[in-house]
Amino acid sequence: MNRYFYIDAEGKQKGTFSPEELRREGIKRDTLVWTQGMEQWRRAEEIEELYSLFSDTYREPQVIADQPAVRYDRPGEAAGPQTHRPMPKTWLVESILVTILPFMLCSSVLSLLGIIGIVYAAQVESFYNRGDYAASLESSRSAAKWTRIAMWIAIGWIALIVIGIILFVVFIGSLSGLAGMSDLLNT
Amino acid sequence: MGKGLKIAIGAAVSVLLVAALYLFYIFDPEAQPLFPKCPFLLVTGYECPGCGSQRAVHSLLHLDIGAALKYNAFMVLALPYIFLGIYLEYFGGKKRYPGIEKFFFDKWSAVVLLVVIIAYWILRNLL
Repeated sequence: MNRYFYIDAEGKQKGTFSPEELRREGIKRDTLVWTQGMEQWRRAEEIEELYSLFSDTYREPQVIADQPAVRYDRPGEAAGPQTHRPMPKTWLVESILVTILPFMLCSSVLSLLGIIGIVYAAQVESFYNRGDYAASLESSRSAAKWTRIAMWIAIGWIALIVIGIILFVVFIGSLSGLAGMSDLLNT
Repeated sequence: MGKGLKIAIGAAVSVLLVAALYLFYIFDPEAQPLFPKCPFLLVTGYECPGCGSQRAVHSLLHLDIGAALKYNAFMVLALPYIFLGIYLEYFGGKKRYPGIEKFFFDKWSAVVLLVVIIAYWILRNLL
């Protein structure tokens, strides 16, 4: 749960409020809000955590009428609940990639992090289809966390290998001169 | 994350990958002591599912697909899958081909993949 500032009708900045308190403040879809980690003020409806404030009031009169349109818009989510909230990012592609790639770099321990990522990523869709949006979002965040950790360690590891090899070659080169260098390259 | 920062990170990672590929091209991991060794192989004496993939990459860069398959068939076959994933995720393929993403990067494809990895792991040490 983040705490948000918002800009009221008079253009004054107010805060901080939890999403529930924001609802009581009566913010609208286009109210500008800001919380830690955001680069700029954004419309409240663009924030995943705040979207539910509006979908509740908005959804009720037209639940049934809207449903076919939703299904046509997103065929991949046909089994989804009757809301307009898009499914949180699953991170499935990334977590699968960070599970395979470490095997190429002799750092298979990282694959375990990738597998944790896959487990959370799979939950995102399950929870979403069950209609549990909050849990889905939670899983999405966890999947993102583990996948990112694995990805950055992998990138750091590649950097370490590249720098290590370059330093080694430079070192050998300076020790034994050009002749040694060409021996190394010819082996 | 800002757009500029994203591009900077993307560029840095690309440079790193090109450098890594270049090193894998000029040096043979088979003959050089420079490249990392598999900790699993060192400890247990059994090959992990990734063993041989550095040599396979070296062979592939020299267009020797036969040798690459011999070093690590799984990795060679997984490469197109990896490239597909990178295309889908980072180069807009997701929006253009949502069906392909659904099919190849579903949770069940993740399960299939893990089963294949484990099967390959066992078989390569038995055979």
